[in-house]
Amino acid sequence: MSRSDQEGPPRYLKDREEYFSDEQRKRTTVESRKMEKRVRENLRAQKDRPAVMKYFDDIHTYGGIRVKELKEFRKTGGKVVGTLCVMVPFELINAAGARGVRVSSGYYEPVHPANELLGDAGLCPMVKSTIGAKMVHSDPLAEEIDLLVCPATCDGKLKLAEIYEDWAPVMMMNIPRVKTGDTTSRLWMGEIKFLKQKLEELTGRKIKRKALLNEIGKWNDAQAAWGRLLEYRKSKTPPISGQDMMLIAQASQKDEITRWTKKVKDLEKELKVMVRKGLHAGETGAARIMLAGSPMIYPNFKIPSLVEESGGLIVSDELCSGHRIMSDPVMLDERSMSEMLMALAERYFFPCTCPCFSPNDDRIRRMKESIHLFGVEGVVFHTLRGCHLNNLEATKIEMKLREAEIPMIKLESEYDDGDVEQVRTRIEAFVEMIKTRRAFSVKKEGSS
Amino acid sequence: MDRFKGSIIRPWRLLFQFLGVAFLLGQSFGLPPFGTSPMLRTLFLPNASCRYVDTAPTSCFYYQFQDGMTSGASTYYVDVIVVLLIIVLMVLVLGRIWCSWLCPFGLVQEGLAYLRENLNIRPYRLKWAHRELLRPVKYVILFLTVLLSLPIGLSGLGLLGCQSTLALPFCQVCPAKGFFTVSEQLLGLEPWGTALPLLAIVSLLLFLVSSFFVKMAFCRICPMGAFMALFSRFSLMWLEKDVDKCTKCRICLRVCPVDHDRVYEDMESVDVAGSDCTLCGRCVEMCPEEGCLSLSFGPKRLASSKKPGRLGFLGMFHRKEGK
Ligand code: SF4
Ligand code: SF4
Ligand code: SF4
Ligand code: SF4
Repeated sequence: MSRSDQEGPPRYLKDREEYFSDEQRKRTTVESRKMEKRVRENLRAQKDRPAVMKYFDDIHTYGGIRVKELKEFRKTGGKVVGTLCVMVPFELINAAGARGVRVSSGYYEPVHPANELLGDAGLCPMVKSTIGAKMVHSDPLAEEIDLLVCPATCDGKLKLAEIYEDWAPVMMMNIPRVKTGDTTSRLWMGEIKFLKQKLEELTGRKIKRKALLNEIGKWNDAQAAWGRLLEYRKSKTPPISGQDMMLIAQASQKDEITRWTKKVKDLEKELKVMVRKGLHAGETGAARIMLAGSPMIYPNFKIPSLVEESGGLIVSDELCSGHRIMSDPVMLDERSMSEMLMALAERYFFPCTCPCFSPNDDRIRRMKESIHLFGVEGVVFHTLRGCHLNNLEATKIEMKLREAEIPMIKLESEYDDGDVEQVRTRIEAFVEMIKTRRAFSVKKEGSS
Repeated sequence: MDRFKGSIIRPWRLLFQFLGVAFLLGQSFGLPPFGTSPMLRTLFLPNASCRYVDTAPTSCFYYQFQDGMTSGASTYYVDVIVVLLIIVLMVLVLGRIWCSWLCPFGLVQEGLAYLRENLNIRPYRLKWAHRELLRPVKYVILFLTVLLSLPIGLSGLGLLGCQSTLALPFCQVCPAKGFFTVSEQLLGLEPWGTALPLLAIVSLLLFLVSSFFVKMAFCRICPMGAFMALFSRFSLMWLEKDVDKCTKCRICLRVCPVDHDRVYEDMESVDVAGSDCTLCGRCVEMCPEEGCLSLSFGPKRLASSKKPGRLGFLGMFHRKEGK
């Protein structure tokens, strides 16, 4: 939506459209497209990659089919709602007849315009990239949104949403960050009801009980399909890489969910055949890695690709840009509107282990359970520079994992490629260490 | 159906509940073989076989309990003690399974909730603070019953004269008394115009209205439940929680008909049944984490929570997801 359809003066940038030079806009766009292409090709180069994955690549392609579909959809009067967080219920968006897309940005180049304008070099690069992309209109997907729903999880996103208002209508959601039972539940329920109202205003139609029930069903189907994919990651030689799994999970927040579910089911069939043929992802005897920490939004797949190129295989993650998108179903007890909303509200809030919450002991408990279920041998904890919440939790988590004798490496990264070689060296050393440990423990078992 | 996880335990429970009601009504109305068998006559169960059914050859346990206290001093309360021991034994083995699998009060309340649900009316959810306030009320009622009944029976206190007015204090406000006296007159089993117990009728109305809006409203103050609650934490039947698997999603608390906080809050104990859980198994059905919650008997897990889409209880209702 262009500025002119909105009321009131811009809050931050008076000469919004003139501030950035054409040259800069162009560069950001070109660089973003190039980066996405590079990352996509890198993913395609993975060995024994299931053919269905091409579909998920296409969903993510810069200016690809999904963008075209959304354009068409908007031409017929449809509304597209952008989100910035896993705590926004897509069921509700879809039930209102709108489409949801997560517009958090993984492109590196838009960080620069944001830096230039905001002048906060220490701010989280994901936040900067997201706002930067909007400022110079370099992300075709983000150009298609009619409303941005942004839960105010951290300081960065709080202000991001505020600035974003210069470019698109924004609805912020208050996250009760101190997570205690009843009061929190009621507060958050209020936010969800408010979201419902906003969505109804946007699309001009009431959210019907049946429609919501239907959407919840679709998303639960999607979760069940995802759950079956996870089973493959438990295998000694998983047939699918962690990068691909992240790509699939993130696709669910861009795609039509029924189509996504169908493709995941197709993939499942393909994986079954692969397993029979003995094909698997990663190198033989790869170190089983869990990815944790700050979100990694496609195409910012730097860390996961480094892990999987260095003799590791990501068998599990606890990222809000990965497994956590699909990790908790909505369980309905009763089916009146307010009960369904409550079920929905609680599903998106209580099991969420975002570090913005306190207490957040659930996070380490869930990590440990996944470590156990997926046979994880080491944890790569990644934080984006400026993400205090994850940075601070990392220390606590490292201590706890040490007690459980699970090695963890903490990596801090920026949105650029400058540190690739340095990070690679560290990851390689980490993977080597895991393999040595493994050999050692086998010897120990053998001798005892 | 799969997508919302259907009922796995509920159908079984309903079956038991209906059988239970049939049995207890049979017992109350003295239908053969119930009324004639001496064994069944002396079966005093909570909230069952209401004494205010004229033909009832027996009574509910709470009646026996109150009656025994008022009049049993001369026999050293042998009757009361035997009845109580039987109930305690039952609770020690089965926990409060009585409540959600057999109690007719429970069934009626669930029926009302079912009706409400189908009328698309949302339940009234008690606030946490109010739940906490309500929690001790049932014990207070139990205590008051004893406090009122015991002195009457002690001849030394000279209160024997009150037997006709103050005896059986709980019965006077029990919804069952209201229900049976009214319905017997309506059915012509009782002559018209016999004095109606107003108090009991008021509480019947309260019972109906409150449990229409609040799930299991009466259970929250039921003194028989309170008595069972005193011992249920030691029972062989229990609610098992594998805390490592719990994601703190709050589903168990949201679906629990008696708002048993502990199943959600407690992250230390293995047994989270405590005193208020009636072992209905709803949370077990709905918890989405594989093996996180179980209804267990001793060391054996009778039913455990499953990932949605992977149903199954006794292998009978097993359906594959997406079929
Ligand atoms: S009135 Fe209630 S307590 Fe009294 S006998 Fe009947 S069911 Fe039992
Ligand atoms: S608490 Fe009382 S009314 Fe409720 S089910 Fe148990 S015995 Fe019946
Ligand atoms: S439903 Fe299960 S996973 Fe969720 S809070 Fe309860 S016990 Fe934990
Ligand atoms: S805690 Fe579970 S088993 Fe116990 S009463 Fe509540 S729903 Fe039923």
